[in-house]
Amino acid sequence: MGIPQEAYKAIEDIVGPEYITDDPVIARAYLGRLGHGKDTGIDLQMNLPPACVVLPRTTQEVQAIIKVAYRYKVNYVPASTFWISHCAAKRPNSILLDLKRMNDLEIDEENMYAVVGPGVIYSQLQEEAMKRGLYTTVPGGGAQVSVLANHINWGLSPLNYRNGIPGRRLMAAEWVLPNGELVKLGSLSLQNDPFHGEGPGPDLRGALRGWIGWFGAMGVVTKLSVKLFPFQTERLEPVGISPHTALQFPTNRMRWYNYRVPSREALVDVMYEIGKAEISAAVTKVPIQWRYIAKATCKEEFWEGYDSDEARSQIGNTHICRVLLVGYTSEEQLEYEERVLTDIMEAYGGKLGRTRQSDESWIKNADSAGMWWMTGAYTSVQVTVDTLDCGVKGGEAFAEAKKDYTPPLMDDYGEPGWFQVSELGHMGYLEFLNYWDPDDEDLEKKDIWVYITVPKLDIEFGLFNGFNIYTSPMNMTGKAFGPNCKDWFEKLKQTYDPARISNIPVPWDVDEFVEQVDFIKKDW
Amino acid sequence: MKDNYEINNYTYDMDRCIGCKGCVWVDHIYMPNVRFGVKCPSNAYKLFDAYAAMGREKIGLALLSGDLDYSPSLLDVIYMCQLCGACDAGCKRNLDLEPLAALESLRVKCVRDGQGPLPAHKKVAKNIAEKGNRYGAPAQNRLEWMTDDLRISQSADVVYFPGCAASYVEKEISQATAKILNRANINFVTLEKNDHCCGHPLVSVGLVDDAKEVAQKNIQALAKTGAKTILTSCAECYKTWMVDYPKLFSKSYEEMDYEVLHLVELVSNLINDGALSLTKGLEMRATYHDPCHLGRQGEPWTEWDGTRGRYGILTPKKSYRRGTNGVYQAPRDILAKTPGLDVVEMPRMRENAFCCGAGGGVSDAYPDFAMWSAAERLSEVQSVAAEAVVSACPYCKKIFRDASEENKMNIKVFDISEIILASL
Repeated sequence: MGIPQEAYKAIEDIVGPEYITDDPVIARAYLGRLGHGKDTGIDLQMNLPPACVVLPRTTQEVQAIIKVAYRYKVNYVPASTFWISHCAAKRPNSILLDLKRMNDLEIDEENMYAVVGPGVIYSQLQEEAMKRGLYTTVPGGGAQVSVLANHINWGLSPLNYRNGIPGRRLMAAEWVLPNGELVKLGSLSLQNDPFHGEGPGPDLRGALRGWIGWFGAMGVVTKLSVKLFPFQTERLEPVGISPHTALQFPTNRMRWYNYRVPSREALVDVMYEIGKAEISAAVTKVPIQWRYIAKATCKEEFWEGYDSDEARSQIGNTHICRVLLVGYTSEEQLEYEERVLTDIMEAYGGKLGRTRQSDESWIKNADSAGMWWMTGAYTSVQVTVDTLDCGVKGGEAFAEAKKDYTPPLMDDYGEPGWFQVSELGHMGYLEFLNYWDPDDEDLEKKDIWVYITVPKLDIEFGLFNGFNIYTSPMNMTGKAFGPNCKDWFEKLKQTYDPARISNIPVPWDVDEFVEQVDFIKKDW
Repeated sequence: MKDNYEINNYTYDMDRCIGCKGCVWVDHIYMPNVRFGVKCPSNAYKLFDAYAAMGREKIGLALLSGDLDYSPSLLDVIYMCQLCGACDAGCKRNLDLEPLAALESLRVKCVRDGQGPLPAHKKVAKNIAEKGNRYGAPAQNRLEWMTDDLRISQSADVVYFPGCAASYVEKEISQATAKILNRANINFVTLEKNDHCCGHPLVSVGLVDDAKEVAQKNIQALAKTGAKTILTSCAECYKTWMVDYPKLFSKSYEEMDYEVLHLVELVSNLINDGALSLTKGLEMRATYHDPCHLGRQGEPWTEWDGTRGRYGILTPKKSYRRGTNGVYQAPRDILAKTPGLDVVEMPRMRENAFCCGAGGGVSDAYPDFAMWSAAERLSEVQSVAAEAVVSACPYCKKIFRDASEENKMNIKVFDISEIILASL
């Protein structure tokens, strides 16, 4: 059926015939089946090809398109780099706004911020920032994700240890509301200068962020200024040929340290101590899978190493703390921080191991795609931003509970999650990673784990899990994380999008999914 | 015998695509900026995701499942691609998947279903069948590049295989190559009257049965000479002998009874051994363009046959062609040793190089797209303030020269054989 012909013609007049299509062949490429959430129930059972795909270039074009959609009451789904299964049509006859042409990037070097369109990705911003002695925090989501979308969606990165969550670094923005009206936030509301996010003028960043972003359910942010940070001044030289490419560290200013400590408790303690000392650029635990991944040249080699008694025994006995030190201001800073780190590690029995002095996946690149390598399917069910103790305790509980779901989940030998300290020790961070074979016959069990068991454990342990916005029924978690945030979401959605046309049914797609399937018991 | 072009062998690879667009973006470690951040010509030209490997794989799966049927736009999606392999190297940085093999096999499916190739490709195939070259030029003119001043032996261990472009259109490349061999005192022969198209235009559009016949004839012609080394100055021929022939016959390259060498490999070795010296100065700021078939696709074919188990684990283990061991350094070493040459790299280089636009049947079926790709690459040449671009493939040279003239870009275009000869 498609969208009304009048609407199609109107949008074609806005963007030109080259940038709109209702060809089912072209639309098929936008089916979903990608990124975070691939091969989960929502992706497999709800995602549909859009009826029409549009590639706008400017804020004015986005506004005009959305006004057409609003006039004809057509559901639209905006997406910049499509790294989450939320950003695919879940209603028939939807318009998909592919924002890749909106890739303007400007950097204000003196005031240390960048202004990005939704089509700019992290590696592009990082390269331009580093040329100017600045940097941003490339997220675990990958270097290929949209800077703008990812900042609104928390922007979780190991580098946030020092710089905090990017969700707090949103500055001025241009926001096309679900009805096509344009709102300018922060200093953009007064002048064409996006240097500041708070007033004068409206500061609706809380509404924009929601729980962990709205995934296109609240219109389209077409321009955003984001904070950059001063970096050390030496160049990180790219070396190698794919797949072995890396940035060579200037070791007078940047160094890795891999310390083996005696226990998980010691690992947590050294993280706290490092935070207290306010040293380091990043501090994280090394999950054992990473070590086997690093040694293997193909999936089969990984499994030869990982499917072993040695690997099984490492879970309880191997505790590695990976620390990145950067002499931001001078070589002396690096030397000082190294001395402090050495003191801390000595106090806790840490033993320094070998590691390459280059970066493959933190500074400019981030290999999120590699997470699918081991088994063919992956999702993280947990991004706890809470105290480190809380995260560790939660991770141990998840590991225990996960045994009932293994298989179909890959046996990771009781791995209690990947955790790190955040915000100079004031916060902790836990991710709980799950891998499975998409050809497994028992995938419903995996969906129960993702959508039901994990959020129930979150509630039980009081873990503030960002992923609950798209991996749990809001009817369950919304009631538990009060005051009832589902009601607040509902009120915001009703206020901004009364016509209900902006990426319906997000963020209630999990609720809709669990209602549709018989294998999930609705006991909340 | 295993059919390496059967699309059903690649449904796993298509289904496991996760949409990270490693097939589109320059390796993030080398990401230069927004302007030159995309390495897939097809998706840079046509911005819809359908024109990237990630989209083509979903469309391919829908074709196999019956959700989509053949249509002009489906054939466009499948054929509007140079098969340059940028997607393949990008994908394999993180995953053990075969996007390029899947794209090639989709074309084979089109042919087997009676839907492909496109009319322009059929004309090229007819030319090859009737005249032995892609242009439809008289077969007897194929050896006209062999002028009297060249010393060509009666028998030798090395067969020079110039390919269609350097035989008919870019004769200066075959002549320069022969002169370099003469100066280095390397005896060589040609296939003479048996010299023929390598068959790459057939493989690349899905006509694998026709390509197999051509391959068989060429391999037999080589065998008749008694030589074991086939030397090319054409990246396309290089890849055809090293990858496509063994793949067509379900063998590993090591099992073929010959060795393939590109001129740049030979010359680089000769220079390193002191057998050849580049002495004459060429005062010029130049940049090197990696031909796709010499660079990221210039790794030998390793045959694999086995089963896939839980988690997609293969038994036996497979040796992936990830673009790591292509011929990248030899041409750079040669240019670096050319006196007076100021060599500068483009932002997209080696396995991330942006295709010249000529390959995969695109210059035949979509000449505007091919020319656009070449102009896009030349704008990158301009971005590093180079006055000349040097490649190692006659198809790159031709399309760059045409694009430079058409767009009045005033960029000098050379094949590396010309640079070597001028510096001897």
